[in-house]
Amino acid sequence: MPNPYIPYLTTVKSIVSENRVNDIKTIELEFKKEEDYKKFDYIPGQFAEISLIGKGECPIGIASSPTEEGTIKFTIKKMGTVTTGFHNCEVGDTVGVRGPCGNGWPVEDMKGKNIVVIGGGFAFSTLRSLVIYVLDEKNRKNYGNITVIYGNRDSGEVLYTDILEEWKKRDDIKVVLTIDRPEEEWTEKVGFVAPVVKEVGPSSDNAIAVVCGPPIMIKTTIAVLEELNWKDEQILNSLEMRMKCGIGKCGRCNIGNKFVCVDGPVFSLAELKKMPNEY
Amino acid sequence: MEQKILKKDQIGKLHNELVSEYNFYAPINKKGNIVFEKIENPEDIVLDYLNSKIPPKSVLFPQMEVLFEYTLDEKDVEITDRQDLDQKFLIFGIRPCDAYSFELFANFFSFHGDWKDEIYLKKKENTTLIGIGCNSPRTTCFCTSVDGNPFNKDNMDVFLTDLGETYLVEGISDKGKDLVKKLSWLSNATDKDVKKAQELAKQAEESITTRMDVDKIVKNLETCFEHPVWEEISEACIGCGSCAYLCPTCTCFDVIDETDQYNNRGRRIRIWDTCQSCLYTLETSGHNPRNTKIQRCRNRIMHKFSYYPTNYDLLGCVGCGRCVSVCPANNDLRVILNKIERIEKEEDEKVVA
Repeated sequence: MPNPYIPYLTTVKSIVSENRVNDIKTIELEFKKEEDYKKFDYIPGQFAEISLIGKGECPIGIASSPTEEGTIKFTIKKMGTVTTGFHNCEVGDTVGVRGPCGNGWPVEDMKGKNIVVIGGGFAFSTLRSLVIYVLDEKNRKNYGNITVIYGNRDSGEVLYTDILEEWKKRDDIKVVLTIDRPEEEWTEKVGFVAPVVKEVGPSSDNAIAVVCGPPIMIKTTIAVLEELNWKDEQILNSLEMRMKCGIGKCGRCNIGNKFVCVDGPVFSLAELKKMPNEY
Repeated sequence: MEQKILKKDQIGKLHNELVSEYNFYAPINKKGNIVFEKIENPEDIVLDYLNSKIPPKSVLFPQMEVLFEYTLDEKDVEITDRQDLDQKFLIFGIRPCDAYSFELFANFFSFHGDWKDEIYLKKKENTTLIGIGCNSPRTTCFCTSVDGNPFNKDNMDVFLTDLGETYLVEGISDKGKDLVKKLSWLSNATDKDVKKAQELAKQAEESITTRMDVDKIVKNLETCFEHPVWEEISEACIGCGSCAYLCPTCTCFDVIDETDQYNNRGRRIRIWDTCQSCLYTLETSGHNPRNTKIQRCRNRIMHKFSYYPTNYDLLGCVGCGRCVSVCPANNDLRVILNKIERIEKEEDEKVVA
């Protein structure tokens, strides 16, 4: 078995600025070796340790879906040394990728079920991956109704606007967008995610809800889902923790006896309730 | 099993015979502290030490270790893997508690099947341990409470017992038995030598007076996550992390890139890290899931005595007592565990009263 800390090498193929304030970018990477790309066999909801060799490494959720063949994508907010490095990247630069890491969304167990995707802000990246995956022509028949509820602070923060437009044109997915405060020219919903979920009122029958976003949004949304008779086992979350290795060795991402990097990052609410409140 | 005798003045001979094949590590006295270092001069070796200040985990898991090296060329990067992992190591004079810690390390680093820490595991595979029993355990030692013993030979390749003028030599593993056979100049041990070694082992075991009911502690920890005892336990802690850095079972590390900007090359390294540091879990957003000292102290104890048993059916402590003797705030693990052990009892008494 090879040294697990050595990344695959990839080349930056494209860079897209995702928001109006320009602190979130999606970087598309192409593996330098075809054989490495084949080894990087992932499902939606997994993450990778991506690095600028010489600057450092950080864990980022995979924004692309395995059905989008040829490249992988990461949506990165400019926060620290490494993410700022990614924001300064140019097409053609070399990026290291280790992974895929973590369990990912349980796309096999979700088969035959209705899916409600609820996202808030920047946490939408692995939800993008999930929705593109289930909408893919090879997979669509395996899943029931798909509802996406996606909230943002303002219209300038909405990620993946092109793809959202495509989804809205389809008749096999319901897309509900909301922003916190009214804006001119905004024709969608206004208000926080939780009340919008209440208004949409997704049924819990044979369904799975996937909830990603800031802690306060998750908390209020879960309260609404509980009112709507959703069970803890039907609600999935993806957690974030500081990580270094991404492979269960460096120690820091433990919550109780679980490591978020290998046992997670996806946990059901039922699982989370059994874990100590240290995340 | 055939047992041999090594005279104390033959350690140089043993070193000379093995040093060409192995990176020969042994305890030496460095500025008043016992540490395991690569031996150039066998006269430096100190075997009558109580316990080393720095555990020999540092031989296979050094405080700073290269994960890989790289050269940067415009937009290109070239990565060079470790080339030195086939080297053989011999650790001479290791204590039973520390030898057991190597097993815990190997277990942890190979646990998550898809991702084994090949750097550690390869080194471990290429390592031979010639250990020595503890004739006079320290007052801080408590290995007998955590499934250990001052004369535990299980994790050794070759085991020595200090008989005064000589060492009794026993090959334990197949690798160790072969090694002893190779040292054909060792003299044969007498029944008297073997009997003396058994007596020393018995005396040593009896001299450890700390007794803990670890099963009870493990059980109590399952239910006392929110107990006020943690406040008491963490009160004196100054968060220096010495307990973790010098713990033979602590595996945590940080990863950073060190780049020589003038020569466009560098290395990605790992360095020891500790859950006792508030930066350890601090996220870029500013959120910190273990923001308080109570949470951090609790994590160290829970990790070794609850999460470890749950995940691996093993204890994460070998009872070496280093954390007890190095703590600048005199926080004593034995006292901490005793407090946890008593939790239920106190509550039972209250119920009875």
